[in-house]
Amino acid sequence: MKGLAAIVQHSSSRGALSALLFTLACLGFFWLNGHQPVALFREMVLGAFGDGYALSETLVKATPILFCALAVALPARLGLISVGGDGQLYFGALTGTAVILALGDLSAPVMLPLMLLGAAAGGALWGALAGALRARIEVNETISTLLLNYIAVLLVDYAVHGPWKDQSNLGWPATSPFPAGAILPTFFDTRVHLGLLLAVIAAVLLYIFASRSRWGLGLTLLRSNQRVGRGAGINYPLNVLLVMGIGGALAGLAGIAEASVIQGRLQGGLSAGYGISGFLVAWLAGQKFLLIIPLAVLMGGLQASADSLQLFAQMPSSSAVILQGILFAIVLAVGGRWRERMVP
Amino acid sequence: MPPTSSRVELRRLSKRFGTVQACAGVDLHLGAGEVVALLGENGAGKSTLMKLLYGVYPPDSGDILIDGRPVIVDSPRRARALGIGMVFQQFSLIPALSVRENLMLAYPGAPWWQGSSAGAWSRVLQRLETLAPEVHPNSKVAELAVGQRQQIELIKVLNLDASIVILDEPTSVLTPQEAERLWGMVRQLADSGHTLVFITHKMEDVMACTDRVAVMRNGQVVEECRVADTTEQALVTRMMGGSLSEDGLRIDSPRPRAHRVWMKNISATRQGEHIRGIDLKLMPGEILGIAGVSGNGQHLFADAMAGLVPLTEGELIIDGEVVVGPKMRPAIAGRLGYIPEQPAVNAVAGDLDLTINAALGRFKALALFPDWDAERKRTEELINAFNVRPPDPALAVGQLSGGNLQKLVVGRELATPRELIIACYPTMGLDAGAAQAIYQALFKQVSAGACMLWISEDLDDLLQYAHRIAVLHAGEIVGVIEAKQADRYSLGTWMTGGVSSSQSIAETAALDP
Repeated sequence: MKGLAAIVQHSSSRGALSALLFTLACLGFFWLNGHQPVALFREMVLGAFGDGYALSETLVKATPILFCALAVALPARLGLISVGGDGQLYFGALTGTAVILALGDLSAPVMLPLMLLGAAAGGALWGALAGALRARIEVNETISTLLLNYIAVLLVDYAVHGPWKDQSNLGWPATSPFPAGAILPTFFDTRVHLGLLLAVIAAVLLYIFASRSRWGLGLTLLRSNQRVGRGAGINYPLNVLLVMGIGGALAGLAGIAEASVIQGRLQGGLSAGYGISGFLVAWLAGQKFLLIIPLAVLMGGLQASADSLQLFAQMPSSSAVILQGILFAIVLAVGGRWRERMVP
Repeated sequence: MPPTSSRVELRRLSKRFGTVQACAGVDLHLGAGEVVALLGENGAGKSTLMKLLYGVYPPDSGDILIDGRPVIVDSPRRARALGIGMVFQQFSLIPALSVRENLMLAYPGAPWWQGSSAGAWSRVLQRLETLAPEVHPNSKVAELAVGQRQQIELIKVLNLDASIVILDEPTSVLTPQEAERLWGMVRQLADSGHTLVFITHKMEDVMACTDRVAVMRNGQVVEECRVADTTEQALVTRMMGGSLSEDGLRIDSPRPRAHRVWMKNISATRQGEHIRGIDLKLMPGEILGIAGVSGNGQHLFADAMAGLVPLTEGELIIDGEVVVGPKMRPAIAGRLGYIPEQPAVNAVAGDLDLTINAALGRFKALALFPDWDAERKRTEELINAFNVRPPDPALAVGQLSGGNLQKLVVGRELATPRELIIACYPTMGLDAGAAQAIYQALFKQVSAGACMLWISEDLDDLLQYAHRIAVLHAGEIVGVIEAKQADRYSLGTWMTGGVSSSQSIAETAALDP
């Protein structure tokens, strides 16, 4: 596996270069905005990791990003580039909510598994839809997942403006608050919830299966030489459906967790760009499942620190999005031949 | 041979690539206004020889004389200055531009902004109207048929004032009608004084439009004669091989037994290529050679039997069980060893290491979590058994040379006992020692009861080792014969589509149990 080791080394040195350039770009951005760059950078870091509360909010943001990053990294094993994290997240939230609305007030031990299953199934369906189009009629999965994002977001909008709208809630388009049994447990009096644990377990399991198992080898093989992979008896269409479906299921879990814990109901604006943040994380990590975990936390920190930028420097909270954009551009530039970067 | 009227004379030209002697001291004369066919199988050295003349590679030794004067052709640019032009199999046209734009782009000394120069364009237009009257100068190249694109490519070469034109396998991409059109153009050019070299492995090209034919085999011209003085059969025979070599390898005839493998009425289609109604039976321990001129459906047939191309009709039956058929998932894992042509593309994942690639032969039998230490040991054994160099199980397979890659693939496919082995040119590009090792591995399996389908263009090998030889022509089996009773001549006839001796087929049918 010398070749693999070389790729790992190669991509992590690229990662270090990207991080350095990004720090410099942050400092420059603050300076251009008329701030003490180093002091503000320190505030930003503290705002993300400075105390228990900041850290907990960072982990809250990191959870959906982690799920969505896995939803990108798994299809990438097969050479597929999915940008459908957001759509799968929304559709999972929609089907998970459907389960809650159908079952009503049940105790958590019954409700939670059913709700999570419902959301996973919805996300899986949304991912597998793009997978089926790819496998059956060679529709480019990047385009189809991108467009399915809009459909899923608008479906949620439709549901909360129309049939599922809580009439007692006057003008606000949202479902009625979820019953107590449908709220995922949280830890240590923070908003950090069960979803984080599930996402980390998923990342570890995917790592084990993708790098050690025959199935993972089959994916690598199909990506390298599809003809030879098929010749070895590996079913390409089935595996496209599998990776897109499993990825979608994970993003769907992110969706219902956001609705359940963070919003307490289903409403629009569920995702703060988690899908695209997840794409960025997956890519920064060179599609390596374990590396995705810390990078998702860092990305969560970047988003959480937007508050401290607002507070200390009166910079708009969208600064975090700008910084994320800068990060993305830097990684693109450092990555260069980015298709090659998709190789784990 | 008329050396005085030679436009081009090649003297003792040699070129070696690594261990392969692509051209070994070739002499060739090209006369003014003459069309010479350069005939030979894949890898015979025809293209290499012409690329030496066109300056693509420098020769290792030998001389090139043009109009009796020795010249050094060190680049295609130099070749063009000497009046030599070459039309490659890969066209270099810009599809989004019009015919006119493409032609003017390549016009000598005329950059694109001078493309409207009336004088130059009228000369080009005249040529276009003479040679390709049905092509409109304002059509986009993307809208043209392949044959028309080739005509444009040829006109591009003529615009460079080439009087010696080399056509590299020009009919391999053409329909029969387009090929006829091309033959006409070739004769037209020869009549106007051009010298043409027509590289081909198709007999019909030779017969249709060439004056003289040089047959190449293993980097040498083995026959040179006027087309009028020879026959298709004689040429095929020369193209396919010289004398039998004795290497002491023997494989016994199978004892007559019930059939083990039945390829029953196989039909399949891929990208315009067809095979139709192929029906063959093999006994345990039998080697059936499939002979035929390249491009007659061999590769489709092999892929179809390996379950890589869906069958439109028919079944592959092994030991009474249907393992490949229409609308079913092939059940051949572990039973079939397949050595495809071009293994670098068709048999391995180039960026993965030797260990993974060696494990592919038994992918379905791997544990859910494979024991990679054990796999590495197996790979090391395979590397030693077949002398794969360099012997590094962690090396990416793409780093291996062609011959070592071939050894790895053969070793992998024969690592476990197989019921059916399909081998396409299993020793192509290998030196004699490595070829010997591969034959031994193949014959060991056959002696143990495996059936072997051996696809080859080398009649010598088939006549020496195969028990029976079936000839594939235009996607159909035109004849099957016991190798002992076969001779080059009748096989050659079958390979060109003719049925010269119905007697031998009848005989074979009677023998075929």
